[in-house]
Amino acid sequence: MSTETSSVIALTESQSRSLFEKEFVPHLDAMYNFALRLTNDEDDAHDLVQDTCMRAFRFIGSFEPGTYAKAWLFRILKNNFINDYRKKSRGPSKVEFEWVEQSFAGDDDPEPAFQADLKAETVNEMLGDEITTAIQALPVDFRMIIILCDLEEFSYEEMAKILNIPIGTVRSRLHRARAFLKETLASYAEKKGYKTDMLSA
Amino acid sequence: MKTNCSHQSDCLKLIQRILDKEATAEEESTFLANKDQCLPCKEGHELELALRKALKSSCHSKCPSSLIDSIRLKISSILLLILLLIPLFCWFI
Repeated sequence: MSTETSSVIALTESQSRSLFEKEFVPHLDAMYNFALRLTNDEDDAHDLVQDTCMRAFRFIGSFEPGTYAKAWLFRILKNNFINDYRKKSRGPSKVEFEWVEQSFAGDDDPEPAFQADLKAETVNEMLGDEITTAIQALPVDFRMIIILCDLEEFSYEEMAKILNIPIGTVRSRLHRARAFLKETLASYAEKKGYKTDMLSA
Repeated sequence: MKTNCSHQSDCLKLIQRILDKEATAEEESTFLANKDQCLPCKEGHELELALRKALKSSCHSKCPSSLIDSIRLKISSILLLILLLIPLFCWFI
């Protein structure tokens, strides 16, 4: 606790408060959304964001104003999720995690087939709920990287720092995640009877 | 227009890098200038764009104001605790 509090003490109370309002608050919607997608539970997302803010606040003295607070906060949130929430794993996430780790056993793994039977028009016709269900159905590491990239628009370099993986792994994981998402959406589309006159394989 | 792309996997990776803003300006302009001559590349580009649009419009939630208030309250109580502890600590030593 002493090292944690010391960084807060290093700043005055008003400095800490204004840093929080200026650097944390603008990112709370994005953090909550990320937490909700990871945990798939509103209460867990609430706790995860709160714990992340408190942890970040304890180390606010080590935050350099002017650096990218959002990436810093997302890194803390992701670590928090891995360390605390995954342990309390509610059902499938543990299995998903093992599955994903196996699939990342090496970057030299054969590439997945990318010819998903899906067209832009089909995606445009899909309902928001179907898209979110498909996202939630992804293994958590795939879900994580797609949200960081496609929703939050972090650069590959920032994602590498947030996820603590090399840039090459960011690239290949993203590629696999998108292939997986397209396959999931294609199978939904087929089940629901959307137009699926496919791209030639 | 070509209906088959012999390097589709590489093209798809390039499309994703372009949309992720990780490709060079030259790669992007070359691709955009040529994509309408290759059906799989054109459709691949449209699909990637549609996916991003669909994700953005369906996967966002706002942080509840009760959560923001509860974080503010927690921070205030930590600051208050520290303010109380410092004089106590100084007095003690």
